[in-house]
Amino acid sequence: MQLVIVGIGGQGILFASRVIGDLSIRKGLPIIGSEVHGMAQRGGSVISHVKVGPYSGPLVLKGEADLLLAFDQDEAIRNMDYLRRGGTSLVNVHDPSRLANEHLSSFVAERGLDLRTIWGYKLLKEELRLPFGYLNALMLGKLASLGLEPFDEEGMRESLKRVSPPKHLEANLKAFELGLRS
Amino acid sequence: MGFEEVRFLLGNEAIGRALVEAGCEVACAYPGTPSSEIIPSVEAFAEELGTKTEVEWSVNEKVAFEVALGAAMSGKRSATAMKHVGLNVAADPLMSAAQFELSGGMIVVAADDPGHHSSQNEQDSRFFAMFAKVPCFDPCSAQEAMEMVFHAYELSERHRTMVVLRPTIRVCHARQSVRVGAPRGFRREAHFEKDPSRWVCVPAHVGRMQRNLNQRIRAIREEFEGSPFNLERRARRDEGLGIIASGICFSNVMDLIELNGWDNVSVLKIGTPYPLPQRLVEDFVSRHRKVLVLEETYPVVELQLLERKRVMGRWNGFVPEQDELTPEVLEAIVCEAFSLRPSGSRESASLRRAVEELGIKPRRPVFCPGCPHRATMYAIKRAFPRGVYPSDIGCYSLGINQKAVDSIVCMGASSTVPSGIFLAHQVDGKEIPIIATVGDSTFFHMGIPGLINAVYNRHPYVLVVMDNSTTAMTGNQPTPASGVKPRGKQGGCVSLEAVISGIGVAHLEVVDAYDVRGTMRALKEAHERAREKGLPAVVISRHPCMLILRREDRRELPVRVDQDRCVGCRNCVDAFYCPGIAFDEARRKAYVDERFCVSCGVCEAVCPAGAIQVERGEA
Repeated sequence: MQLVIVGIGGQGILFASRVIGDLSIRKGLPIIGSEVHGMAQRGGSVISHVKVGPYSGPLVLKGEADLLLAFDQDEAIRNMDYLRRGGTSLVNVHDPSRLANEHLSSFVAERGLDLRTIWGYKLLKEELRLPFGYLNALMLGKLASLGLEPFDEEGMRESLKRVSPPKHLEANLKAFELGLRS
Repeated sequence: MGFEEVRFLLGNEAIGRALVEAGCEVACAYPGTPSSEIIPSVEAFAEELGTKTEVEWSVNEKVAFEVALGAAMSGKRSATAMKHVGLNVAADPLMSAAQFELSGGMIVVAADDPGHHSSQNEQDSRFFAMFAKVPCFDPCSAQEAMEMVFHAYELSERHRTMVVLRPTIRVCHARQSVRVGAPRGFRREAHFEKDPSRWVCVPAHVGRMQRNLNQRIRAIREEFEGSPFNLERRARRDEGLGIIASGICFSNVMDLIELNGWDNVSVLKIGTPYPLPQRLVEDFVSRHRKVLVLEETYPVVELQLLERKRVMGRWNGFVPEQDELTPEVLEAIVCEAFSLRPSGSRESASLRRAVEELGIKPRRPVFCPGCPHRATMYAIKRAFPRGVYPSDIGCYSLGINQKAVDSIVCMGASSTVPSGIFLAHQVDGKEIPIIATVGDSTFFHMGIPGLINAVYNRHPYVLVVMDNSTTAMTGNQPTPASGVKPRGKQGGCVSLEAVISGIGVAHLEVVDAYDVRGTMRALKEAHERAREKGLPAVVISRHPCMLILRREDRRELPVRVDQDRCVGCRNCVDAFYCPGIAFDEARRKAYVDERFCVSCGVCEAVCPAGAIQVERGEA
């Protein structure tokens, strides 16, 4: 499993990759990935690479990712060429009209991609009245609902509990369950 | 070994872990991406494993280097860590102390940033190792970096030399499963042996020191011929195609070979780029028809090859001279060099068209919502629209978005470049307002000598010290003003005001960075005092970094943009540049983007039409 997590600095992308890492380690799978720190984190585009399996290098090659987990729709579009033929993309949307772009649709068809969306901001605000800082837990919940190996619901919930700072645990779990159901 | 377990660690955490396990007893650094997490990890693992390791944040890299040096001169295993440009600051002790015959092992971790993700250049620290004649390790992974730490200490003590460990950003910031264990270094007793011929670099001693240094590096070159970090992966089908790969390039190339099924390509992995094991490499070159050299960022291995003309590399344009060698770039180089084909499609014309049509660009880094620097930069630009704005290294470099940053060179240049700009104009009888910016941590690092120089030589300019009480860009390390030390120890507190007053500036005033109008007034006042006295003046604009302020300590002033009053002038968007304010192009109105707004309320002072209003009573 090779995945790329994209979004904007401050959205909690490092946290999400840490939860996925914990899950993989507990399943005894080797894992390697690459994070962004420093200047690149300050509200700019952020990309985190995660490779589960016997890989040597930390970076995912374009055209080889099984999954694109996107916290921002524009970042999703910009990075969709990381996906392999038949790959899955899970995108947090707030203005899905942009995803209807004609050229984008032909790209999705060319590569036979499975394009999933979630109204992350709306769900957090309307269903939970939670700040957008919990988007990562929501996205992880939605990811766990897709049935992609090795990201099962039980394991993901357990890893979220293990990685979550205690004071955010309750809200994280709420957001996770909402993502799972939506 | 007592125990072994697998953990999911950042490369820098793995290096920190290995330092503690290997018995490092003094570790110090100045933070800098991509090296910053090493010292906090030494602290965390020293706590976990119960070692006595002294861990410190130093004022700058030269200081850190010399503190670690003093410990190694006293028989302890020591380490210092820095980013590549940090080694420029520490170059002075590196070049001279390289000649020493140390008592304890010393590791200098110099973390490079190919692709300049968070740096002002792409220099290659392996060259510094070569320059100083100090052995250098180039790890291909976090796990290998750990193993290299143990080897480096062993080599360091056997040859009495310091050793450079040069991880690149993709090793430092890779997170991977690594094996950790119990401490295995034995404790060494502190003992400073008086021996001027060994520790005193004067001309009378240098001849012998240089002879030792040259003999030593020859012996290490010989030893590296058999180093476990240099190995050959032979192709299943030998067609005379070979790659020499140093550091992380090896890992990336191995993944490409596996993925694309290139079973006709052999790889010679180099983990010790200096001194290069000459026979090993020349033998590999002689056995292959086509040889490609892959390394980041400069051609350090390539330049040491005796028969460079036989290889494909940077000298003949096969490998790009700049930027990171990502898997995509590497794949293209290998395909071109060996006439091979990639197995999948990488980029797509239709996606490129979609991105173009939708106008999607990579998002530039910006000040965080609620960042005090944004307010200060705005005030500077407003108070002196025709000023010149030299700046410095740190978060505030992002003031470039507000056009309030005119130059950035290196740590501390904000207090020296203004002097030159002043002198140049003075020669021509011209006068321009010069408003320089520097952060608190950077001012302590290297800003002080420049300010002393400006007082001594009488250079009137305004230096704004943007005091957010932390070293923010690199992950909020404490500053000398805080008195906070690692491992729960209490440090002394160095007062910014006392230091600046002591230098004898024309004028010093402290303002709250959130107070835009107050800052503008203070800047004008400082400018007048500087002109009057012919000396630099300083404004400290103070407000804690949003990332260290607890939620309950933050100012809560929710704002709204009155859509009737908004005239669509874009001042709040272009000059204030906050993610919390967006602009509706269709309606030509600004609005609060609640995904990002943190209700600091500073933008109220920014709107010329009074449309940005604090929602009083509703919070």
